[in-house]
Amino acid sequence: MNNAEKTSAVLLGLTAVFVAVGLKCATGFGARAAMPARIPLVETQFLDTATFRKSYAELIRTKADLSDFDCYTCHEKGKPPTLRFDAQHNLIVPKEHEDVVMGHGTHNRNNNCFNCHDEQNLELLQARDGRQIKLAESAPLCGSCHGPTYRDWEAGAHGRTSGYWDRAAGPIKRQICVDCHNPHRPKIPSRTPAPGPHLLHPLAAAAEGAPH
Amino acid sequence: MPPSPSTPKQSNGPSANGLSRRSFLRTSAVLGSGLAALAASLAPLRHLNDFPSVDQFLQKYYKELTPEEMAKVLKRIEDEVEKQYGLLPHTAHVRDRKPMNGVEFVYALNLTRCIGCRKCVHACVAENNQSRTPEIQYIRVVRLPHGSLDLEKAEHNYNPETVPEKGYFYMPVQCQQCKNPPCVKVCPVHATWQDADGITVIDYNWCIGCRYCAAACPYWARHFNFTAPSIPKERLNLDMAYLGNRPRRQGVMEKCHFCVQRTRVGRYPACLEVCPVGARKFGNILDPESEVSYILRTKRVFIQLKEEMGTSPRFFYYFDV
Repeated sequence: MNNAEKTSAVLLGLTAVFVAVGLKCATGFGARAAMPARIPLVETQFLDTATFRKSYAELIRTKADLSDFDCYTCHEKGKPPTLRFDAQHNLIVPKEHEDVVMGHGTHNRNNNCFNCHDEQNLELLQARDGRQIKLAESAPLCGSCHGPTYRDWEAGAHGRTSGYWDRAAGPIKRQICVDCHNPHRPKIPSRTPAPGPHLLHPLAAAAEGAPH
Repeated sequence: MPPSPSTPKQSNGPSANGLSRRSFLRTSAVLGSGLAALAASLAPLRHLNDFPSVDQFLQKYYKELTPEEMAKVLKRIEDEVEKQYGLLPHTAHVRDRKPMNGVEFVYALNLTRCIGCRKCVHACVAENNQSRTPEIQYIRVVRLPHGSLDLEKAEHNYNPETVPEKGYFYMPVQCQQCKNPPCVKVCPVHATWQDADGITVIDYNWCIGCRYCAAACPYWARHFNFTAPSIPKERLNLDMAYLGNRPRRQGVMEKCHFCVQRTRVGRYPACLEVCPVGARKFGNILDPESEVSYILRTKRVFIQLKEEMGTSPRFFYYFDV
């Protein structure tokens, strides 16, 4: 019976080991539980391909509300509005046009509305040589001062493009100056950057995660 | 122990073949728990669902596939993608995009314009089905102080409130599609090669994951899937190319391929279309009318990154002035 008892003890021990191993496998090992945290998806605003602003031409194309551009609901035809300046020769923007921020050009040299707008017909623009230019086709007006940039834009090297590089395969979509630049303050505003790369290793992330 | 009266047929003593009831029960308890433990320890294998199918395992080299075989391969990959992501049948489209005749792609990036907003990084991730966790990004935007192109001073993890920051400029770096690509030279199985239009592509089914190419690339452009990539179903781009943005599996290399699924049908790459300042320009250098031809012809300064490596990139950086 001594032998049988020994066998019993060994088999009992083996059963216990098997049960323990089985339980451990079923519940998973501690090390595997430390999976990296799911990185949050980037916000869809950073995937947006829209331009900074909507130009007059784009508003016409999308059949948007154009009542803001009906100058002669307030102004009187054939009577050019007078401009008022303060002591430093800065233009005083009337409160009806307070959405206009004068910021075109440095050293306050470009502070006259009628450098670009036509004073005889406020719904038109006027180039430096006196040519009248439609609001929706303003690029040549910009080009009358910004020659090299206009040349680059015409060649496709300045400004945004989308669509097809291969003209035989499909159309290219070109943006005009005022699709991106506010004509009254053309500098592109600064913006929040999209999130930078995430470091996968938690320790490395802790060491480098702090904003610089 | 006397035999139990309720079970008169079962003998407790040794039977004809020497197996007692007690030893049978004892042995079966051990065997049973042993088998259960074995099953439990093999349970993780149930989650190994990306085991290659026989067709996938026996697939021929990309350049040796006949059009009929290619069609079968594409169908198989579409089915795999639909199954993996739980999509409706015939929603995923994987196509074999070949280089176009008389086309050599060149990328030009205007360092004067780039504001470092990183939108290109994320548009690329979305277009090319890159893994979100762990994160794989083909484009790395580095911030450099004005007056220097010393990459030792480059900061990758810049995180200001707004960009651009005063005193810095930004340089996005991605695969430079070299004319003399070191990554292609070191690949021991020819899983990566330079196509006629200048794009260096990877056959994800042929890659063995040795990562030699990642070591050879001086631009850190190649990214390895150390773990299984994960893409949320709703962010999956279903317009895919075999050599382009089809989902990769664990253990293969990937990199920027100038969006072959777009550019080889004449479209602009995703990073170009999303750039809010128009700093990115792309086109056919063999066409004298293209934007990139104009830029390389007329812009006064342009650099090839790490020119001294002799890789001759097709990715040019230029300045407006």
